[in-house]
Amino acid sequence: MTLDSLGLDIPARVTAVRLKDEERARLGAVGLEAGASIVKLLRTPLRDPVECLVGSQLVALDRRVMAGILVAPETP
Amino acid sequence: MIIALVGRPNTGKTTLFNALTGLRQRVANFPGCTVEKAAGVLTLDGVDHECVDLPGTFSLLPDTSDEAVAFDFLAQTPPDQLRALCVCEASNLSQDLPLALGLKACGYPVAIVVNMIDEAAENGVAIDASRLASETGLPVALVSARHGQGLERLRELLRSEERCAEAPLAIPHTPRLALKDIEERERRRAREICARVVRRARTGLLSTVERSISMDRWLFHPVAGPVVLAVVMFLVFQSLFAWAQPAMDLIEGAFGGAAELVRPRLSAYPLAASLICDGIIAGMSAVFVFVPQIAILFTLIGFLEHSGYLPRAGAMVDRALRPFGLDGKVFIPFLSSFACAIPGVMAARTIPNERKRLSAILLCPLMTCSARLPVYTLLIAAFVPAAWAPLGLSGRALVMAGMYAFGAVVALLLALAMRAAGLVEAQGSALTVLPPYRLPKARELGRYVWTRVWHFLGRAGQVIFLVSLLLWALATFPRAPEGATPTQQMEQSFLGRAGHAVEPLFRPLGYDWKISVGVLSSVAAREVFVGTMGSLLALSGDTSSPEELAPVLQERYGLPVGVSLLLFFAIALQCVSTISVVRRETGGWKWPMLQLGFYTALAYSAAFAGYRLALLLSV
Repeated sequence: MTLDSLGLDIPARVTAVRLKDEERARLGAVGLEAGASIVKLLRTPLRDPVECLVGSQLVALDRRVMAGILVAPETP
Repeated sequence: MIIALVGRPNTGKTTLFNALTGLRQRVANFPGCTVEKAAGVLTLDGVDHECVDLPGTFSLLPDTSDEAVAFDFLAQTPPDQLRALCVCEASNLSQDLPLALGLKACGYPVAIVVNMIDEAAENGVAIDASRLASETGLPVALVSARHGQGLERLRELLRSEERCAEAPLAIPHTPRLALKDIEERERRRAREICARVVRRARTGLLSTVERSISMDRWLFHPVAGPVVLAVVMFLVFQSLFAWAQPAMDLIEGAFGGAAELVRPRLSAYPLAASLICDGIIAGMSAVFVFVPQIAILFTLIGFLEHSGYLPRAGAMVDRALRPFGLDGKVFIPFLSSFACAIPGVMAARTIPNERKRLSAILLCPLMTCSARLPVYTLLIAAFVPAAWAPLGLSGRALVMAGMYAFGAVVALLLALAMRAAGLVEAQGSALTVLPPYRLPKARELGRYVWTRVWHFLGRAGQVIFLVSLLLWALATFPRAPEGATPTQQMEQSFLGRAGHAVEPLFRPLGYDWKISVGVLSSVAAREVFVGTMGSLLALSGDTSSPEELAPVLQERYGLPVGVSLLLFFAIALQCVSTISVVRRETGGWKWPMLQLGFYTALAYSAAFAGYRLALLLSV
């Protein structure tokens, strides 16, 4: 599933990032790459972008980018 | 030796630079605060070394103009003289370490500075420095630049002789694929190393992150979030009038008192008395009186910059800006421009999309900068009655807030036009890093405000002092026959003649020759207008003390001229420094000249329309 279809507060792991090379590199530089842990935390007031916890870092990701990030929810 | 501070954005490089060099470069709590390299001197054992603070970079693959600055500097510095200090955030070492390892892999002489160890301790994070050094093969220092902790160890580390064995890879000229391989390899290695050298006292979220998420639950709330943003912005404008007024009255009174004290003592030298009282004191008073407002404005902006709220505010408005072809990345350049367009234009370097960057550069000067503040304050005090208080709020503060909003609205409309012309496309900003909230330290904030106030006084004071002298000379000579009134003297002076010559150009906007001279004198810097008007009206005998400036403007010109002036100053690009920075940032004269011509024409048209409309409504 893609990150934009994942619910809030569900821990997940990134399985792949399907975006343009330069965007993938930028996300990779903040640790958002295959294998990283990710949680969608809060929607901003206009619902996009969404605040996410990547590893131990907070980032805001827009919906278009989230649609290119494949994740697998982590079982508790 | 040249010591270069490199690292990811917002790891505290500039705070460390200030601590090492004693300088006062701007620091803030958001990625991309530093977009230009800054140089200072670091003295070790009596020997001076150049210390350079470089803009933050996320990776070895520069993506934005500010990141390119860092790598260009590394490539251009002779490797045998370079020492790179890679600054990492202690609580986030696994993200910051790959850059240090990547630079080492490219052949640069690197040392690791693990910064913010105080915050790491709060988070229960401990770092084994000696193991980190042995695992990476790099010297390591643990520091808290904010508290001056660990700096001696860092100095010791810099004393050690370590030089580049061979010429490193010139990153800007190395194929991206090769750099990507290095980066991916070093990122994996960094993760493995961190697993061995970083110890966490407790599992779960870091305290700083947990606290930030709790605050974001309020600040990103669908209702509370926008309300907080609106209240914060409104408080800024309300406070400019409500809190600053007593101090402004005090300063005005002091200058008025000084003029009254000096004038009788120089009665034997009327020319000198006129020069000092009507030229210098009147002009300087018009600048100094705005220091309380400038200080309040920068205290509030500084608090927002240091707290970590700004990137969140940017994320909040991201979607709302997309229809205009902009995104949340323009929020920081725009907000910085409320202080001054120059840092705003430079902050646009953090925008990866080149077209959006250009549109931000072109629009930044429309935000109400601190140089417009004295002009607005004078005009609002002159033309908006103090007793007007709709809904119990200060009417003058409302008009001031309206002027700030007007600049932003014009910018958005022009952005829309640029989008319609196909210059930019509507797309959100892919990623915004949200730093943890931090409580600004009073000393940091005090330094920030002092530096800004000093800069304002230096820039405006020097220009206004010189302009005051020039105006005095032009208004005093040639001398009128004995017994002429101050107005007759002014009319036949060089200044009077020049003013009358340019008056037809500004007459359609409702300006007489004195305001025309004021507007022309503000071409170099907007705030010069108030000093010029202060000197002009004092020299022509219309005012005898600085306090009378606003009432005299009201009496002589009326509301339509006030509206016309407000609109003209809201749009016109009267700032030589901004024009030169735009030239530098766009790499030529084409864009700044287009910008200057367009904004001048737009300002003239808006002032003309505003004047005519106000005349119609006031009949």
